[in-house]
Amino acid sequence: MLEAAGIYFDGVSAAKHHVDVRLDEATGYLSFEGQSIGAPQHWRLEELRLLADQPSGGWLTFTRHISGDDEMLRHEARLSLRDGVLNARLREFAPRLHKRDVNKGAGLRIVKLMGGAFAAVALMLFVILPAMADTLARFMPRDREEQFGQVVIKQISWFVSRDSDADLSCKNDAGLAALAKMEARLTANIDMEYELNIQVFDHPMVNAFAAPGGQIVIMRGLIDEAKGADAVAGVLAHEIGHVEHRDSTRNALRAAGSAGLISMVLGDFSGGALAAILAEQMLDASYTREAEAEADKFALEALRNAGVSGTGFASFFDYLLEQQSAALELPFYFMSHPPSQERADKARAFAQKQTATSSVLSAADWKALQGVCD
Amino acid sequence: MSTNNDIHGQYRGTRGELFHLAIVTTILTVITLGIYRFWAKTRIRKYIWSSAVGDGDAFEYTGTGLEKFLGFLVAVVVLAIYLGVIQMVLFFFGLSFVAEPTTPAEVIMMMSLLYLNLLALLPLIFYAAYRARRYKMARTRWRGVRFGMEQGAWGYALRASGYTILMIVSIGLLAPLANFKLEKYMIDRSWYGDAKFEQHGKWTKLYGAMKHIFIGLTVLSVGIGAGAAMESEAMLAIGGVVGYVWLVVGGLYYRVHSMRYFFANRTLGEDIAFKAEPRTWDLLKIALIGGLIIGAILLAIMAVGGLGMAGVMSMVAQSESFALMGLIGFVGAVLYVLLLVLVGALTLVFILQPMINHFVTTFTVQGKDALGDISQRAAETGVDAEGFADALDIGGAF
Repeated sequence: MLEAAGIYFDGVSAAKHHVDVRLDEATGYLSFEGQSIGAPQHWRLEELRLLADQPSGGWLTFTRHISGDDEMLRHEARLSLRDGVLNARLREFAPRLHKRDVNKGAGLRIVKLMGGAFAAVALMLFVILPAMADTLARFMPRDREEQFGQVVIKQISWFVSRDSDADLSCKNDAGLAALAKMEARLTANIDMEYELNIQVFDHPMVNAFAAPGGQIVIMRGLIDEAKGADAVAGVLAHEIGHVEHRDSTRNALRAAGSAGLISMVLGDFSGGALAAILAEQMLDASYTREAEAEADKFALEALRNAGVSGTGFASFFDYLLEQQSAALELPFYFMSHPPSQERADKARAFAQKQTATSSVLSAADWKALQGVCD
Repeated sequence: MSTNNDIHGQYRGTRGELFHLAIVTTILTVITLGIYRFWAKTRIRKYIWSSAVGDGDAFEYTGTGLEKFLGFLVAVVVLAIYLGVIQMVLFFFGLSFVAEPTTPAEVIMMMSLLYLNLLALLPLIFYAAYRARRYKMARTRWRGVRFGMEQGAWGYALRASGYTILMIVSIGLLAPLANFKLEKYMIDRSWYGDAKFEQHGKWTKLYGAMKHIFIGLTVLSVGIGAGAAMESEAMLAIGGVVGYVWLVVGGLYYRVHSMRYFFANRTLGEDIAFKAEPRTWDLLKIALIGGLIIGAILLAIMAVGGLGMAGVMSMVAQSESFALMGLIGFVGAVLYVLLLVLVGALTLVFILQPMINHFVTTFTVQGKDALGDISQRAAETGVDAEGFADALDIGGAF
């Protein structure tokens, strides 16, 4: 039978008791007695627990498992043993030394609380914040929105050219006049809330976007790759849809509210910021799809009112799908404008139902627009 | 004066064990997208607590990762609503100042908006800080007996907010008043078993500990003033650097010496007193040497990693495969996260643990005979851990 000296705290007072400890492997008990503790104590080995994550190589503290209110389901008494033969044998022989005891109701409580937390966060991210963003975007003064839009455009201009002072906008008068004609025809029959400010950027990227406050930018690459003026008109009508729905203002507001929330939930573990950005982007994408569908609807409506064929718009989707299946470098456009067969089909079905259509620009004007950056 | 009735703190944690624990728990945290962080913090605490020894008896941390996680969930529900709404409303009003402010009125508006954002969170941060300390006390035991702290988080948040405003208004001159009153508020609500802590002393006595802050400020202003007057850039630079370094070290000196004063005037029950004697220079040395070691390790890793990366990049440039490029990007992101994990673990091992070691080993409890008369304190049930502190991410590495 192994014996060693130990130190015992009864969990009732902070008084220290020096005890003699005995391991009885036959009966499965750890027993100890000392002058100051009165009756000898007998701990069953199955109930014996070693405190977790202690530094090794010195005294180790043991305790006893009980069921009750304790946060770790341990009895308040503690027994410390110096590193040695008994200590080593005990760690080998006692069966449940490292068992983590968990309260019976814990599982249900976790499920309940997690459900509650998920629901609250989801409610915030998907219902309350978007609704608030909607309302606030409506109340935002127009000039404030325009100022903000200019900052966004500056950032995009920096993003594509890596030069903060670059003026990428194309200035060819005939081209801009053609663009103005296209805008006039598309918006002639629509009661517009925003005054549009459309620019063309001299950049090969196939892209177009709407910034807050009625500002739209078309990249030269989009005009270069378009099959005709009607294709550009379709994309432009789509961006006008974004403008009229205040999509980018709304998105910015919603992002401001949800960014802090997401980083809070994910916490500040290593690389947490990275994960937060990814999550934010995924969230963004889900809003974007909805906004895209709405803008498509607006675009088709505008084309109908203007008497412009939707075939061009459909051809643009075809172009994007082709690019995607060729798996070449992903154009930036995919990230915010996911193309799909469904969107192309919709535009084509719409085009088939149209009766009297005419091209949005004359051949000469289309030529001028193609040279807007010259 | 050391007597048989004194207990001198000892620390027995080792670099190897803590490093291993830190790496394992942080990697688990990354793999579980952050959920394991509550268990990670708990395990690190358990190790550090049980490494601190007084009179041969180790401290014990009895908190669990699970209750921390549950507390966090509760806090998330409350904060989700508060944060989301506040941030968005502030952003809404902040929008007009994205463009460069031109008039002084606009600048003031913009500044006040920034501070408003902070101010909205400040009481919550104080509230969370008190709750976190209370939770840690309730989950700390020594000789089998619990520590504890009474409720009072809102009272603390109120006072702390008030004193913070006072401190700002007095441009920091009343910092000792705020510091003393808030510390006293917490200590006078703290217990070990059935024995109560009490903080004595006067706040004005803390000004002595501030002397190096004042010297630093003087050097800074005299140096810059003289430099400006003499139009000498060298004078300006020397005054600025010396003054700044003096100020930073003076801040550490204040922390160390105010701590000495607090413990020298603190009692537990009738008969137990304390002596804390940390040294500014030793702590500074730990920070500098630890920083150098970590810097050297990171430099070595980056040199090797940079070479490898350059080699891989040249290969990729030749193959022009986008799939390969994506893969490289992914591997790069993983390596980046691993580097962050390593920095965290190294900081814990080479800076934080040596500092804790220093604080513990320079700490003395006087009157140990009276410890035998202290009885157990009832367990705290239903505490929602330190969820608010976790959600607001205050409280540091462990």
